[in-house]
Amino acid sequence: MGKEDSSMFPSLVYRTGFAAIACAAHILLAPAAKAEQDVWPALRQQTFGDRQIQAEDGAVILEIPGTAEDASLVPLTVRVPPAVTQKLKSLTLFIDKNPDPLVASLSFGPAAGSGGERSFSTRVRIDMFSHVRAVLETEDGILHMATKFVAAAGGCGAMQAKDPDAETVDLGKMIVKTFPPALSTSPIWSSLVMIKHPNQNGMQLNINTADIIPARFVKEMTVKRGGELVFQMQSTFSISTNPNFRFTFGRGADNSLDVVVKDTDGAVFTAQSEPSGS
Amino acid sequence: MCERRPISRRNLVEAALALAASPLLRYVPAALADQADISEIAPGVFVHQGRYEIQSPENRGDMANACFVVGRDGVAVIDTLGSAVAGRELRDAIRAVTNKPIRYVINTHMHPDHVFGNAAFKEDDPVYVGHHKLARDLASRADRYLAINKQMLGDAAFQGIEIILPTLAVDGMQTLDLGARSLVLETQPTAHTDNDMTITDTATDTLFLGDLLFSVHVPTLDGSIKGWLALLDKLSRREAARVVPGHGPKAMELPGALESEQRYLATIANDVRRLIKEGKTLEDATKVAGFSERDAWKLFDQYHVRNVTAAFAELEWE
Repeated sequence: MGKEDSSMFPSLVYRTGFAAIACAAHILLAPAAKAEQDVWPALRQQTFGDRQIQAEDGAVILEIPGTAEDASLVPLTVRVPPAVTQKLKSLTLFIDKNPDPLVASLSFGPAAGSGGERSFSTRVRIDMFSHVRAVLETEDGILHMATKFVAAAGGCGAMQAKDPDAETVDLGKMIVKTFPPALSTSPIWSSLVMIKHPNQNGMQLNINTADIIPARFVKEMTVKRGGELVFQMQSTFSISTNPNFRFTFGRGADNSLDVVVKDTDGAVFTAQSEPSGS
Repeated sequence: MCERRPISRRNLVEAALALAASPLLRYVPAALADQADISEIAPGVFVHQGRYEIQSPENRGDMANACFVVGRDGVAVIDTLGSAVAGRELRDAIRAVTNKPIRYVINTHMHPDHVFGNAAFKEDDPVYVGHHKLARDLASRADRYLAINKQMLGDAAFQGIEIILPTLAVDGMQTLDLGARSLVLETQPTAHTDNDMTITDTATDTLFLGDLLFSVHVPTLDGSIKGWLALLDKLSRREAARVVPGHGPKAMELPGALESEQRYLATIANDVRRLIKEGKTLEDATKVAGFSERDAWKLFDQYHVRNVTAAFAELEWE
């Protein structure tokens, strides 16, 4: 990691915590006022400083529907095409207009793999129409960005639970699966991680007590293959309820995964992958 | 729920006699019919049918069914349409039928097209009635609902909309007395939303299902697909002289009324379960699941993908 990188990580962690506290103030802004601000220049400066970012250079592809049918659950996929052969250093996802624009920040380890298409998918909340960005850092330290604009369809509260009373049932239950590649010669495997967790944003009023329901969301996830790091992720409540991740990792001698998840309440959840292909 | 059914045999006989004495759709003055398209589907039970549309400046949020029941001592309104402007027209229509006081304004659930007309009844100082979870859920969505509806309805139709939460929260079963007729309210488990409530007018054995029943208009899933299918199964074994859907014709008959919706939801559930088993993703499912139903419903393109998304997120944890 370069000099800039070593400072980036703690600042992101700090900023996430700060934004969570600042949310109560954000929501008081009229949506129209918030919609007109271009937050990206400040966000970019805050996260990457003066580093250059190569926009739409094909190194990273962002797939997300142009219209979010359910704003609380928008599927998002980031692909790094096979033509990119370098190892990956980091991936940062933003939704400019969300109360906390940082969705997730991943630092890749030696088991992240190379030698084929790499991808990362999750589901996000989109509070209003917004630019969505994926910034990929390759091993050479260059930042590549893909941007899409998403309009959230009306009628669905992006930040609200459909059934809040059912949300804490089985909290922390995890499912981890691994899938071998279709071609056995490919060095890239894939995985699915599901976590039962409300991923609450802390912006809702408890109508009976007039208290703000405290935020509780997954803030960190570490994925290892046979003790080697695939990635470590910092995340926010812009990830949908019951966080769901599909991602690739490099083939090893033993392709079972260990996943450790920490939430903002300090709870730690761990899981191991089921036998592959199951 | 079936075993707790509030309809007695005597009620049914009375209702049958009352119906025999009056035509099913009684004459309604032309001016009123033009104004709000209201029919008396059973003695003292009036229904306005909303349009099969999404909110627009032209329809002023008039896109769900709204009902009122006239008793000896007062009136109960069941759902108030999607704007104060449309709610005001509904109130005018009620006033063209009766001068009795409007005692209750009942919301079948939290969605804007059923509650945003509540403000039109403030001068009547009614008891606002809803599922005990409605207040929490609507309050948490209020900012979002207001912003979206302001945008979709435009300034003129948005004028006067207020979030008015229930002053009487129902948990379980509760009876409202309108004088010589009573309404039995029953809160339901999570289905269309987590705050659906059904209402039975015991005098005519009319069951108001709110958005637990969609007809013609594609159902919208904002609760639990498993819960909804289970509830429909129970409701299909229930008896009622007629049911009133939240979206659809003014009156329908059980159990046939439920069949299209049961088929739609079951098709989504079956397709999504199969795709999950095959290791497919949410994105895959939104492109194929339930599309055999496309020609059977209005507004399919507006709501279906959202329904599949919600179903997938629920069923992948089975």
